[in-house]
Amino acid sequence: MKFTLREIGPGVRLHLCETDKFKSLTCKAFIQQDLKLKEATSTGLLPLLLRRGSQRFPTTLHIARELEDLYAAEFGSDILKIGERQILEFYFQMVDPSLLPEGARQVKRGIETFWEIAAHPAGGPDRFVDSFFDQEKQTLEQDLKGLVNDKRSYALARATALMCQGEPFAIYKYGDLDTLQHLENSDVYHHYQRLLSAYPMDIFCIGSNLTSLVDLLESLLPPRQEPVELEPAQGVKVLEPKFLEETMDLQQAVLVMGYRTNCTYLDEDYYALLVANGILGGFAHSKLFVNVREKASLAYYVGSSIEGAKGLLTITAGISGDTQDQALEIIQQQIHALQAGQITPEELYQTKRGLISAMTSVNDNPAGVIDRNLIGIVHGQMRTVDQVVEALHRVQHEDCVRVMDRVQLDTVYTLRPGPKEGADHGEN
Amino acid sequence: MEKTKLPTGESLYRKHLPNGLTCFVLPKPGFLRTYAVLSTHYGSLDSKFRLPDGSTWDVPAGIAHFLEHKLFEEEDGNAFQRFAAWGASVNAFTSYTQTSYLFSTTDEWKDCLLQLIDFVNNPHLTEENVEKEKGIIVQELQMYADHPSHRIHSQLLETMYHAHPVRLDIGGTVDSVQSITVDDLLRCYDTFYQPANMALAVVGDVHPGETLQLIQAHYPPWNRSEGSFERLYPREPREVAADWVEQELPISQPRYLLGFKHEPLWQGDDLIRQQIMMSIGVRLIAGRSSASYGELYEANLITDSFGASFNVHPGYAYTVIGSETPDPQALHDALFGIICRFKDNPVSEADVERLKRQLYGAYLASFESFEYTANRLIAHHFNQTPYHHYLPLLKGVTADDVQSALLTQLDWERATVSIVRPVQDND
Repeated sequence: MKFTLREIGPGVRLHLCETDKFKSLTCKAFIQQDLKLKEATSTGLLPLLLRRGSQRFPTTLHIARELEDLYAAEFGSDILKIGERQILEFYFQMVDPSLLPEGARQVKRGIETFWEIAAHPAGGPDRFVDSFFDQEKQTLEQDLKGLVNDKRSYALARATALMCQGEPFAIYKYGDLDTLQHLENSDVYHHYQRLLSAYPMDIFCIGSNLTSLVDLLESLLPPRQEPVELEPAQGVKVLEPKFLEETMDLQQAVLVMGYRTNCTYLDEDYYALLVANGILGGFAHSKLFVNVREKASLAYYVGSSIEGAKGLLTITAGISGDTQDQALEIIQQQIHALQAGQITPEELYQTKRGLISAMTSVNDNPAGVIDRNLIGIVHGQMRTVDQVVEALHRVQHEDCVRVMDRVQLDTVYTLRPGPKEGADHGEN
Repeated sequence: MEKTKLPTGESLYRKHLPNGLTCFVLPKPGFLRTYAVLSTHYGSLDSKFRLPDGSTWDVPAGIAHFLEHKLFEEEDGNAFQRFAAWGASVNAFTSYTQTSYLFSTTDEWKDCLLQLIDFVNNPHLTEENVEKEKGIIVQELQMYADHPSHRIHSQLLETMYHAHPVRLDIGGTVDSVQSITVDDLLRCYDTFYQPANMALAVVGDVHPGETLQLIQAHYPPWNRSEGSFERLYPREPREVAADWVEQELPISQPRYLLGFKHEPLWQGDDLIRQQIMMSIGVRLIAGRSSASYGELYEANLITDSFGASFNVHPGYAYTVIGSETPDPQALHDALFGIICRFKDNPVSEADVERLKRQLYGAYLASFESFEYTANRLIAHHFNQTPYHHYLPLLKGVTADDVQSALLTQLDWERATVSIVRPVQDND
């Protein structure tokens, strides 16, 4: 799955992967910007506004009917957060034209529809339709308040906000309620126009007969200015770990532990960090799964993950409210075991193989083939699957120990079953 | 070996082995990953059954799911470790009607397949390891209990059904799980894991003949109880048990779910046809392309979470329509009006033709997912519905069919409303 890259405008990169492996045409476009409070909330509104209507398809109904007519084509838009970048994503997929009647005509219509919905929202000349704007502000308000409905995501967001207080990374990817109240239609519209015309944009397409799409996509692009320069994510040293507990009317407690790894994508130990994390909590053979779940029966889910642009390692576990101390102790023992070099040859081998298999198999999934490049785009350094596999192969026992030694506990957050909502700052 | 041409141009192979196991192989040339799933036609609904010796059993709720957890247990460790050696991932899931064990790998798929067959056929249950699993399963149940979408759905089915086990959570309850014994688990294993009650599907860059030979050569002989058992279901009245239910949860805004209970009258082609008609029908009510979606959204009665589905099995059937909403009662009244309109106004032929086109495209696209394709083949096999009749049946559906399905099935005399509301803060 190789991409050919061409620049089709200032700061606009088109990545094409020509293949007949899939029964679909998949396109994604990503526009990235620095994560900042005011802009974050404006950007957070865009996916909601775009689905309401475009110039040619003035309502949700018209958009939906066009996509149904295109044999179940899909359009989507969402917000991603990678390190301290906020990314606006547009997504389009349709059945491979070779399987459809009048395929060539369908694909042209599909791509035009994709860009029409993404870049020509209903309204104008300098604002979204007012009624759409007012209603989608309410929708975003409900979405932000609704984070509490998924306890694990809520606990993770709370832990992140606490851990990275004062850093851009603390900003939630869809923004925040206070900023939202003060957003004006024309300001959000201008922000959106700036995003389309001046921020780095990467467009990916995977499918067959793509060459015909290059000219088409180029002709659809808005006039571009010199692209805005973006900042790398901040690194922060931990002074003292922070502890916070909150209670809610729940059945289960969610424990979140946030660590600073002091190691990111550009660091030479980055792949050692991925392997060490896999040994810790990335697999069913990992230390956390075996010791917290299988041996102590404390949790159904427990695991760890890496945020490679900011350099964070996060552990989450769903546990009973009265076993928190025991779970915390077992989890910390596993971290210490890794730091002390207690890694068996099997653990190292199985974890490397698991990571390599996961990396290789993204080539079977068009969206996966695209998404794996995002961290590379954010850092201005893309790596092929082969390069990543090679780097994972090279990781040795001592590399994992060395990189784990840089990892520091920053925050322990627990959302516990209890009588009413409230925060309690603990001592240790 | 029976070969079927799929509308994507691919070929599907099926074989019924002498031991009773049914196998499907879907070759995917050029793909790196192989996915396989071994399923038993045994799910949470099958808690009461009669054995060939005439004895009948009524076991605690949650056994199918408990067994799903326990089959990973081995004398020295667990089945996860076997797969880890190849970097493969292995997992399992339980539904109302089946329990499935699966793996996905980019290396050594043959070894993985043999390990899958082996661990599912070798239960290792002890008093001690069964007790230990209870802590893990209770945490799983409590995780789901904190999901509002799970709660509102469970509450609907509990209220809609009087006696049918579809009203119970797939995992059982904390109490039923605590009461499960090694004997219960083994009795269910012996009954439902015989090869004639199971099916295996493999999707990947594999040779169909070799794959089937490999399975046939290595599937172990069944030395446990054999013979046809009978699944026993309580008599379920036609009416709903109650028509309205509410509870409070720590959530941000209310959620509303409307359910219509149907008589499960359909088998074979009829079941697929009914599924198609109702899929189109519910899109006319809750699809983004429906006039009603726009009306309700503009009136602030629904959010983007608004959706509907028709759920059908040979043993039960129901439709659900629901959304997050600031005002459940107003949404209820509006939906009443929208559904009543189908009585007086003909369903538009253009709408139905467009939605048929969408279902056609979605059907083609669905073969792209290894998981979805394999699991659907097996579900159709267990339900005895001919999956390859889907497109011809889709072609034959008319606007009149859709309208009459909606009018018959969306019967307000047999409807239940389930609501969850934010906890009232008394501060």
